[in-house]
Order: sequence, then C-alpha cells, then structure tokens
Amino acid sequence: MIASLGRLPAARILRSSRVWITLGAWCSLVLAFAGVARLEGWAHGADRVLGSVYGALALPFIACALVRAAFGGRSMISSTAPLVAFGASPWRAALASIGVATMATALLGAGLAALVALVAHGVADPPPGRDAIVSAYVGGLGAAAYATWFALGTTFGRRGGGRILFLALDWLLGAAGGATALATPRAHLRNLLGGVSPMNMSERSSAIALVTLAAFCAVLAARLARRR
Amino acid sequence: MILLEGVSAQRKPWSIHDVTIDWRPGVHAVVGTFADGGPLLLGVIVGSARARVGRVRVLDGSPTDAQARTRIARVPVDPSLPDALRVDEALALAAVVRGDPSEPAEQRLSVLGLEALARRRVSSLSRGEARGVALAEAVTSPRVCVIVVEEPFVSSDSRAASHIAEALRTKSRSGSAVVVTTASLRDAGDLADDYLLMRGGAVVGRTTSVRALAGFGAGEARRVIIARDAAQARGLVAALARSPDVAGVELDANTVRIRGADPLALARAAGQAAVQADVDVVEIRGEPPSLDLARAAAMGAP
Repeated sequence: MIASLGRLPAARILRSSRVWITLGAWCSLVLAFAGVARLEGWAHGADRVLGSVYGALALPFIACALVRAAFGGRSMISSTAPLVAFGASPWRAALASIGVATMATALLGAGLAALVALVAHGVADPPPGRDAIVSAYVGGLGAAAYATWFALGTTFGRRGGGRILFLALDWLLGAAGGATALATPRAHLRNLLGGVSPMNMSERSSAIALVTLAAFCAVLAARLARRR
Repeated sequence: MILLEGVSAQRKPWSIHDVTIDWRPGVHAVVGTFADGGPLLLGVIVGSARARVGRVRVLDGSPTDAQARTRIARVPVDPSLPDALRVDEALALAAVVRGDPSEPAEQRLSVLGLEALARRRVSSLSRGEARGVALAEAVTSPRVCVIVVEEPFVSSDSRAASHIAEALRTKSRSGSAVVVTTASLRDAGDLADDYLLMRGGAVVGRTTSVRALAGFGAGEARRVIIARDAAQARGLVAALARSPDVAGVELDANTVRIRGADPLALARAAGQAAVQADVDVVEIRGEPPSLDLARAAAMGAP
C-alpha cells in the first residue's frame, strides 16, 4: 500500500522540470569545484570539496528542493490530501511521501558524494575506491537526515514554508559548536566529512545521531500530518 | 449507515449544534448555505472534522476507521486530486487505495460523459472537470458506500451536469448513501429522497417529499410563465394584474413571475390570463420558495 502511495510524490519529482533544473545547477556547481580541485592538484581535494561546497552548501539545498518537489510545493497536509481523499490514512500517506523524498535525496546525495570523491581525489586523500564508498555512505546518510529534517519543516506553514525556517535553523544552530548544534544535520555531517565535531563527538556517534535524527523527524512529521 | 446522535462540532467560522440523523441508502439533501454548516456536517460524516459532543457512526464504525475510510468518498466544491498524475493514473491509484478491481479510466469517466479527460494531466483540469473526475471516481467505485457531495451542480462541467443526478441515483440504488449539501431547493428537489433544512448550524426542518419541501414556503406560491415574446408577455402582465389571486407580478423580457397565496389559484389565474390576452404560453412552471422563506416557514416564523 505504501509503495502505491509513493507514486504521487515520485511523479511530482520526476515530472517537475523546475526540480531538475535546480538539481542540475547544484550538481554542476559541486562537480565544477571538484574539477578545479583536480586541475589545481589539491592534496586533500576530495576532503575539501566534500566538506565545503558539497556538505555545507549544496546538499542542504538539494534536499530542500527534492522535498519541496515531493510535496508539490505545499504543506504536508495539503500535499497528502489527494491520497487521503481516496481513503488512505494520513499517517501512511505522509510516510510514503517522506519515504520517497528521503530515498531520492539519499540516492542523489550518495551518488554525488562518490563522484566528487573520484573527481576531486588528491594525493593525500585515501585510496579513491574506498574513499568513494565511504563518501557515498556519508553523503547518503546526511542527505537522508536532511530530507526528513525538511519534511518536518513542511508540516509548518500554510504552504509548507517551514522548510525555509528549518534551512535557516540548520545554518544558524549547526554552524555553532554548542549543544544546540547536536539537533541539526549540519553539525553531524560536518563531523563525518572530516570537519569540526560537535561537542567532541566521535564520527560513529555522529552517524548514530544522524540516523536517530532522521527517524525522529520522519515519525514526528507523519504524526503531525494526522492533524486534519 | 450514517448515524449522528446529538452531534455538535465547530470549525471556525462554522458550527453545528445538536444534529441527529439516521440515514440509510438513498439520496439525502442538506439544504442551507455554507454558513449554515452543511460542509461542516459533511466533514463530521467523513471524519475530517471532529464532533465535540455526540456520537457519529458511519458504516457501523467510526468514519476514521481504516475499513470505513476507503468506503467513504467526499466531493467538495474544490476537490483535491493527485496533481502530478494523469487522470487515468489518478483513477488507477484510487482503485489500489480503495481496494477496487482495476477498470479502464474511460469506462469509469463515461458515467458522467467525461471519457475525453482520461489522458489529461490532473493539474490541467478546470475546477468543474476536477469535480467531475472526483465524482466519477466516487460513483464507479464498488467499495464506496457513502458519498458526500457539496453543491453538486455548482462549477460542474457542462458535459457532466446532465449526468450527475442519474449517476447519484444509480449509486444510491446500489445500496449506497449519498448526501448532498445545497443552497438550492430546486437542486435538492431534483436529486434527493429526503431533505434536512439547516440554519445557523441547527436543523430547522425535515421532510421526505418535494411537495412538502415546497410546502415550507406555505403562504407564498410562485409561478414562472414564459411567453413567446416580450410583447405577448406585456399583454399577459396586464391580464394578470386584474386577477385577485395574484399578489405580485414581475416582468423580465418574455418571462413573467407571479406570486400569490394559493398555488392552485395562481396556476388557474395564469391560464385565464393567457386566454384573455390571447397569448401563446411556452411554459408555466412552479418555482420553489426561496431558501430564506423555506427556513422561516420551517421554523414557524410569520
């Protein structure tokens, strides 16, 4: 049933030219930086591009664009209303949309991270094959966390404008190193990509935190979708 | 099938108070404007609005139960359809969610004469077309046993308008309960088997016949007479003005509207005037009372 309910958010993503243009632009930007790193011969090219342009800038916007497309640019309740009108439970309809948005973002995030690791590979980076696999895992995990984070934002505002608020919160809280950073995907993703760790957390703890954050945001967003 | 006992609910700016209903299969009309709470009552029936007081049972359970949910369809004035899909894809998705057998979209849409919409993107549909698709989905789903429709003839697609009444009656004959809200006594009379008059969120009258519905306007009957042309209509007005049974006359091109206390005397006066003025009458028909008049009569107001 949930797979059937996923047809609508999948069609919204696949048939929206706007989202493809946005994704194309962000991916091109990231790959252009990766190309520059390769041409300039940066020793830690993959690390630097993944930690800066990819993780800190492009991935949040890519996730935000994909979530926006999956929900048709509307709020959670409004975007799942057509499925609920056919008799689907609001909870399942919301979970299906969140699932599709999360899978699409995770796949793109993982693929793009792996590509960056290969293109921007420098002499001081780990072996390219292993680095691409680890980058794909980190990128996919971070992207999934961002997708559910923005899905939770979609439950706020008449047209799901809470997404922008959550983007701003991620920037403001995640950039700081305090305890509030622990609640954002940015701080944990930065840690996994070799940047500053929040509250001196280990990479393993940040990975667990991202999984927990993703699950919490997904369940809370689906629960909030029942308010209709 | 639909049982409401002493139900009160509120969704700003509307509310309903102490509504008791026991509807079986058939077409039931809730007569009143939006402000009278008809759409909120439908919301309570489909489970999208919560009753603050009272008991709501639809299909022997709560309307939000997983089993009941797929057997209830709502067609609001502005229906919500899967925007990114084509109409045939949307109907296929609806069939999967409801648990219906797969059926060609053209066949399902043909009940309202809308088969040409099958390959259109839902986002390209006008409001009337979207309402037609939502209604076709509801009436052709074998699983759906309760259909609620807001203002069935408002913003309806011109191709579908002539099929709506028959489609709803056919569905009700198959053992379903169809509930329509309308502010038009004429639409209610055309569609429904029984009528619930609402005002300010309260039920002010109930009846089971068109005759009784018209009777809510007791004390004032209305007739419309259509003459062949405006000149003949003027001659008719002059003849009608002399009749003691006619309390008022209005002329609009070749259409004459008359009102009086007794519907039979009014019809007789119209006939006599047509003979006296030697006018070719195209049509004489009764007009239902206005909604305000019907509600005032139902409440026993002078």
